Amino acid sequence: MPEGWRLQSPLIAVTETLPLTETIAPADEAAVAAAVREASEAGTPVYPIGGGTRQDYGLRPTRPGIGLSLAKLNQVVDYPADDMTITVQAGLTMAELADCLSVQGQRLPLDVPQPHRATVGGVVATGLGGPRRYAHGTIRDYVIGIRAVDGLGTAFSGGGRVVKNAAGYNLCRLMAGSLGTLGVITQVTLMVRPLPETSALLVCELPKLDAAERLLAGLVHTKTLPAAVELLAGSAAQENPAMGPMLSSSVARLIVAFEGSRPEVDWLVRRLADEWRQEGVSPLTTIGHSEAGPMWDWLSEFPAHVQINVSPGATTDMVARLLRLDPGAAIQAHAGNGVIRLRLSPPMLAELGEVIRSRLRPAVAVAEGRMVALRCPNGAQLTRQDVWGPPGDGATVMQAIKDRFDPKGLLNPGRFAYAD
Amino acid sequence: MPYSPLVKELRKCLGAENVLSAPSELAVYDCDGYTIEKHRPDVVVFPRSARQVADVVKLAHRHDTRLIPRGAGTSLAGGCVPVGGGVVLMLTRMNRIVEVNLRDRLAVVEAGVRNLQLARALTGTGYHFAPDPSSQTASTIGGNVATNAGGPHTLKYGVTVNHVLGVEAVLGDGSIVQLGPVDDPGCLDLIGVLVGSEGTLAVVTKVWVRLTPNPQDYRTMRAVFGTVEDATRAVSRIVAAGIIPAAMELMDQAIMTALEDAFHFGFPLDAGAVLVIELDGLSAGLDAQRDRIVEFCRNSGAREVLHAASPQERELLWKCRKSAAGALGRLSPTYITQDGVVPRTRLPQLIRRIAEIGKRHQVRIVNVAHAGDGNVHPVLLMDDRDPQQVQRAMAAGREVLEECIRLGGSITAEHGIGVEKIALMDRLFAREDLQAMARVRRAFDPTGRLNPGKVLPEGIEEC
Repeated sequence: MPEGWRLQSPLIAVTETLPLTETIAPADEAAVAAAVREASEAGTPVYPIGGGTRQDYGLRPTRPGIGLSLAKLNQVVDYPADDMTITVQAGLTMAELADCLSVQGQRLPLDVPQPHRATVGGVVATGLGGPRRYAHGTIRDYVIGIRAVDGLGTAFSGGGRVVKNAAGYNLCRLMAGSLGTLGVITQVTLMVRPLPETSALLVCELPKLDAAERLLAGLVHTKTLPAAVELLAGSAAQENPAMGPMLSSSVARLIVAFEGSRPEVDWLVRRLADEWRQEGVSPLTTIGHSEAGPMWDWLSEFPAHVQINVSPGATTDMVARLLRLDPGAAIQAHAGNGVIRLRLSPPMLAELGEVIRSRLRPAVAVAEGRMVALRCPNGAQLTRQDVWGPPGDGATVMQAIKDRFDPKGLLNPGRFAYAD
Repeated sequence: MPYSPLVKELRKCLGAENVLSAPSELAVYDCDGYTIEKHRPDVVVFPRSARQVADVVKLAHRHDTRLIPRGAGTSLAGGCVPVGGGVVLMLTRMNRIVEVNLRDRLAVVEAGVRNLQLARALTGTGYHFAPDPSSQTASTIGGNVATNAGGPHTLKYGVTVNHVLGVEAVLGDGSIVQLGPVDDPGCLDLIGVLVGSEGTLAVVTKVWVRLTPNPQDYRTMRAVFGTVEDATRAVSRIVAAGIIPAAMELMDQAIMTALEDAFHFGFPLDAGAVLVIELDGLSAGLDAQRDRIVEFCRNSGAREVLHAASPQERELLWKCRKSAAGALGRLSPTYITQDGVVPRTRLPQLIRRIAEIGKRHQVRIVNVAHAGDGNVHPVLLMDDRDPQQVQRAMAAGREVLEECIRLGGSITAEHGIGVEKIALMDRLFAREDLQAMARVRRAFDPTGRLNPGKVLPEGIEEC
């Protein structure tokens, strides 16, 4: 089993990526507000820090400022399990959250890398999804209430503690994926779901990428209900530690995950296997619940350099194009959603900026897709457009929102897609 | 009467047949489903394209006039009442289904497409648009977006915001933007903010909606309880056991009586409450779940649990529920449908309090509820020809919503704030929260011309 994927997912010390003069860890929301207010008065940038697992996401900031760790805000505030909601402080880790929920047979059905370090606040702020988004959406579908401190040090909240709420503007959605640039998230109320009784993965190998598109298009009319639809191509298909080596004639793997009660999952696996056999697909491998853990971990942790989003039907074409651009690349696609995660080969990575500008962006533009760089390696000279892409139609409104929530531009300055 | 300069320009821009300005024609647009507060618009226009909507927005600018986007006008909180007059922008003639794309599991529809029109267009595809508000025969997708509409099936499938992948919208300055349908991590979730913004941030002209696979099978049942408390206890037990039915609809005795008078469905009239519960999904798992639900109902005091044995019987059970609004006409000349929500375990308390409040204000209140979501629609019966009755009903309604706040809930789950609930916003939210919302509004619409007097109370300024 190649260890490469592990080595390329390093725990980057925040001091390596953020220009911090000091790091403070306030004990509660009032202290967070006081710290931001003080920084605001002094004109000092504030860099919110959760678990530090995504500190290389976004542009590399340059303005020296204080690190604001949420590590001490790590309590479960309220967990009315029968209401299937939970209110937690932002610094609680995803693993602690999962442990707490599992006692009541519940979960947040999302996949987050490094759950023992990643915090709830950080996951909300970055807003990225994983394989289960096919059936369960992303974090923004689960945040029903939020508390945060804006750029002037004023605490505010949005939403509430009910699963259905049409009162006022959806500030939860606004904050999710805003990368801490509108406010320092201090508390979150989440809608949660029952833990499924069991799960299974059905895996097939594909001799050509065309075959992947045929099977993916076939899933439109499947009688089954997948939880995730993952396409692995390039070296990602080969290196997958949860599986043996592929046939030498195969170029990709398609993985479909199912969750539910035992009779449901048994039926789902049998049914899709039948559907695929009729398509002439073989061999098929089933990974049962007890063996599925390593595969889920691998799918959640897969370290990629860029993420490209296209319409689901354009996924396979884009994957093929990317492999032509970089035959040494490793690709994981949440293929049911058109989300493609690309890990470049070392020679390409060495020229990351150039590769993005002259190869990847033009390919993405043709497919009318969107692309972001997921990590900004040391030494890479990336511009705002390299990382976040050309401004979309929403850029003006987005900037206007930013200017109002953080008029001095002190929250995570220089990292996100604003023109600042 | 000579046309005003604005009307003249609108007629020139859109064609005379797409502009209404005679007082008799305007009266229809005084209010929506909330009939307590009425305002006459200055003019009503029917644009046919986003370009024309943009032209109207720019004209309104030049003439310093308010703009009120409107779909079918079925909303229940006065969200499209033209407070202070202005131009009512009807989206109903933008009603083309542009594309149904099963490969990408989405449909592209203009804002004026009716919810049911889309449902019919999807018949036979194996897919559907999940939000199904009770207004669906008339209400438009644009209106569903504006109110973040729900319906009976939101417990399992979520509300409108969970099913919108993209929008085309005209901003307050007349610019046309497209957000989505491909997700852009480099953009704030402006789509998520626009959904539920009640036409105050932008005029949505086109929507990319997510399509959901139709369930393979259903198990629909009707459980009869002696009291509302027993019924809500059953709901809590079902959810606590990790079962997520597609719907759990509660009707109280008064509604049942009205339904029985009107339609003769065969409800036992001495029962306190009925739950219509529907499971959907794979056949493989449904019977086991149904058996558990029956057990929970019986353990909670259900005296009878009836199963729909055929699609026709299932249709009939749903007809009972969906006819509730129609049957209310038998009980009183008019009524206000409220929309309160509490954490679902607080539902019994809320229902008890609603009865007390009704008694105190001498208002007859009957309840239908999306019980799985903790979302109650108390229906306050009255005769709107009697101002005192209207006053009492309004006061009782307000108190019900205050009770929702006290129980940790919210003043609307799916109808929106409109004008009706605006006075309660500062009870539900702190001033800082409302100021944060005011910033969002100002960022989208610096002129404040879009649907003023809605959602945010006056005097809330961004700061």
